[in-house]
Amino acid sequence: MIEFHLNSRSGLAPYLQLIQQVRHALRLGLLREGDQMPKVKDVAAGLAINPNTVLKAYRELEYEGLVAARPGIGTFVTGTLGGAPLSAHGPLRRDLQRWLAKARRAGLDDESIEALFASTFRSSAEDEGGMGRWAG
Amino acid sequence: MTAVIKTERLGKRYRRLWALADCTLSIPAGHVVGIVGPNGAGKTTLLSLAAGLLAPTAGTIEVLGGPPPENPAELARVGFVAQDAPVYAGLPVADHLRLGAHLNPGWDDALARSRIERLDLDPGQKAGKLSGGQRAQLALTLAIAKRPGLLILDEPVASLDPLARREFLQDLMEATAEQGLSVVLSSHLIADLERVCDYLIVLVASRVLVAGPVDELLATHHLLTGPRRDPATLPAGQQVISASHTDRQSTLLVRTSEPVLDPAWTVSEVGLEDLALAYMKQARPARRNHHLEVQQ
Amino acid sequence: MTWLAWRQFRPQATAAVVALATFAVLLAATGPHLAGLYATSGVTGCHIDSCDRLASNFLGLLGGIDTVVYMLGIAGVILTPAVIGIFWGAPLIAREFETGTFRLAWTQTITRTRWLAVKLALTGLAAMAVTEGLALMFGWWAAPIGEAARVTASQFPLGMGPFSLPAFDAHGITPLGYAAFAFTLGVTAGVLLRRAVPAMAVTLIIFVAVQIAMPLGIRPYVFPPVHTTASLSGYFSGGQTITPGGGFALAVDHVRSEPGAWIYSSGAVNAAGHPVSIMPAACVQNNDPLPCLASHGIRVAVTYQPTSRYWALQWTETAIYLALALALAGFCFWRVSRRRY
Repeated sequence: MIEFHLNSRSGLAPYLQLIQQVRHALRLGLLREGDQMPKVKDVAAGLAINPNTVLKAYRELEYEGLVAARPGIGTFVTGTLGGAPLSAHGPLRRDLQRWLAKARRAGLDDESIEALFASTFRSSAEDEGGMGRWAG
Repeated sequence: MTAVIKTERLGKRYRRLWALADCTLSIPAGHVVGIVGPNGAGKTTLLSLAAGLLAPTAGTIEVLGGPPPENPAELARVGFVAQDAPVYAGLPVADHLRLGAHLNPGWDDALARSRIERLDLDPGQKAGKLSGGQRAQLALTLAIAKRPGLLILDEPVASLDPLARREFLQDLMEATAEQGLSVVLSSHLIADLERVCDYLIVLVASRVLVAGPVDELLATHHLLTGPRRDPATLPAGQQVISASHTDRQSTLLVRTSEPVLDPAWTVSEVGLEDLALAYMKQARPARRNHHLEVQQ
Repeated sequence: MTWLAWRQFRPQATAAVVALATFAVLLAATGPHLAGLYATSGVTGCHIDSCDRLASNFLGLLGGIDTVVYMLGIAGVILTPAVIGIFWGAPLIAREFETGTFRLAWTQTITRTRWLAVKLALTGLAAMAVTEGLALMFGWWAAPIGEAARVTASQFPLGMGPFSLPAFDAHGITPLGYAAFAFTLGVTAGVLLRRAVPAMAVTLIIFVAVQIAMPLGIRPYVFPPVHTTASLSGYFSGGQTITPGGGFALAVDHVRSEPGAWIYSSGAVNAAGHPVSIMPAACVQNNDPLPCLASHGIRVAVTYQPTSRYWALQWTETAIYLALALALAGFCFWRVSRRRY
C-alpha cells in the first residue's frame, strides 16, 4: 500500500501533493491496478491533515479515472497512466546511459549535466506547447 | 450547507471592556474551522459562548440550529475542551472515563477505552500526574467519546511540545474522519492550524477580520510586487489588505475575485500564515498612533 | 452525577469516618465506667434538697480522663460545623472554579442545576449526619454529667447547665442546624469568591461571628423569660458582694425549684419590689447578712428561662439555622445558573 508524505515547504497544495505522489507511484510500478488505497481516516491521521483534503485528492484521482471508490469496502486503483511503466522502456534507458557517458567524456560535471538537461527539457516542452501538467 | 455556529452581531462585555464585538459568522458544518488571533483577541470568549458557558451581552448566537447548549439534549451534541485541558487532578484516568459514562447517556465506552489503550495511558494514574500532552489527549477522549456532532477546542495544543502537538492533531483528524465531526479550534499560532483547518477565521481585538474556506482565501488573496504605486489607484474590485513601499517598489497584499491583469504587477501566491499576519497587522497601526499621541 | 459527587467527596468522608470511629472507641471505653459511677451516686430520683449535694459529689468523683473526654466532646461538637464549613463547604465549588474543572463538568450532558444539587445534597446531608451523629454519640456518653450539671450549681467545666453556651451548642439538635448553615455558608463563599483559601477564611470569620451573635443577641429573646421573686432562704443559691460603705449585690446562679434554668439576671429587691443596693444599717456588721436582710423584707428577683423551654428553644434555633442554610443554597443555585463564566 502507498504511504503518503507532505512537504510543507513545497508550495504545492497538500491535495495536489497527494495526487502527485499517487501518479508517481503508478509510474514507478509501486501502485498497480487492483491495489487498495489507504483509508481516508488513516491518511488524515497519519499526516495530521484535514480529511476533506484527502477526500478532494481521491475525488480528483477518481475523476481522472485512476481510482474508483467502492462504498463500504474502500478505494481501489483502477487505471494506469497510459503507456507502459518505466521499467518497460529498456531501449530508452540504454540510450540515456550512453548519452551520460558521452557527456562525462566531454568533461561535464554532475551539475552541468543536470542544468543542460533541464534547460533543454524546458525549451523543448515550450516548443511543443506545454506537454504534461506537472512540468516545473 | 447547514451552519454549526451562526452569530449575528454577537458581543460580550465584561464590566467596561468588550471582549468580543460585532461578530457575525456563519461557520459551515463538516469542516475543521480554525480561529486564529493574538492572546486577548476574544477567541476564548467566542468559544465559551458557543459552548454555553457564557451568555451574550449583545447579538445572537445559534449552535447546531438551536441556542447554545443548556439542556441535556443540547449538551450531548457539543463536545468542549477548555484551554489547558482541565481534568480532576485527584482522579485517576479510569475514573475520568467513568465520569464520562455516568454523565453522558451517549457515551461510547469501547471507543474511550480503545483510545486510552492506544495512547498508552495508565488507567490507574492520577490525572494530575499526566504530562501536558497526555492531559490534552485525556480531555479529547472525554469530548470525543460522548459522540458529539460539534467539537470545540480552545487552544488545544498551545502548551504542548512538537511531538505531543503532532500526535494530538493526528488523533483529532482520525476522530473527525471517523465520526464526521465538525470541529472548531482556536490557536494563536497559524502553524498549528494550517495543516488541519479548511476554514479560517482571523480574530483580532475582539473583531472578526476575515472568515472563509481556506481554499477560497488562498485563491483570492495575491501578493503584488511592482513599481511604486499608490494603493488607492488600484481598481475597485481589488481590496488592499496591506501595503509596504520602498522608494522604488511597492508590495501589496490584495483580495480580489477577478484575475489581476495589470502587467506591471508580479503576482504570487500567499501562504496562509502571511495572509493572517497581514490582516492582524492591519488592525494594529491605529493603536500605535494613539500611543504616540498620548506620549506627546 | 451521584457517583462523581461521591468520588470527589470520598477522601473527606473517609477522614470523617475515621475521626468518628476513633472518638467512638474512646467513648465506648470510658462510658460504662461513667454510667456506673452515676448509678451509684444517688442523683437519680434525688430529693430536691439533697440533689445539689449528691450531684456535686458525683461530679467531684470524675477523674482526669473523664474530664478530658468531656472537653474533647464539647470542643469536637462545637468545632465540627466550622471545620465542615471550611473544609467541605468552601472548596466544594471554589476548587472547581480555581482549577477550571467546572468547564469540564458543565459541558457534560448534565445541567448546572443538577450538578450543584447533587453535590450540595450529598455533601450537605453527610455534613449534617456526621455532626449530629457525633453530637448524639457524645450526648449518650455525657448524659450522666448533663443530668448532674442540671441539678447542681454551675461549676466549670463539668457542671455547666444545659442552657450554658457550650452545652446548648454541643447537645440536642442544634449541631445539625449549625452544620447545615456552616456548610452552605462555605459553599456560598466559594461560589462568590471562586478561590478556595479566601472562601475558607471568609467562612470561618462569618460563622464565628454568627455563632457569637446567636446566643448573645437572639437566643435570649426567642421566648420571653419568666420573672419571679424568691425569699433569700431556702431557694437562694448564689453569690453576694459587699462593698465597704454598705453597698451590696446579690446574684443567683441556681434556682432550686427550677434546676438547670437559664438565669438571665437577678438582684436584690425590697418588699415593694424595687431594687436595693444599700444594706440596712443593722445588717452591715453581720458575718452572714442573709438572714438579717431577709428579716428586713429583702428578697431576690430572678429573670430566667425555665428548663421546660429547652427543647422548644433547641428546635427553634435549629429551624432558624436550617432556614438560613436553605436561603444560602437557593442563592447558590441562582448564582451558578447565570451564564457568566
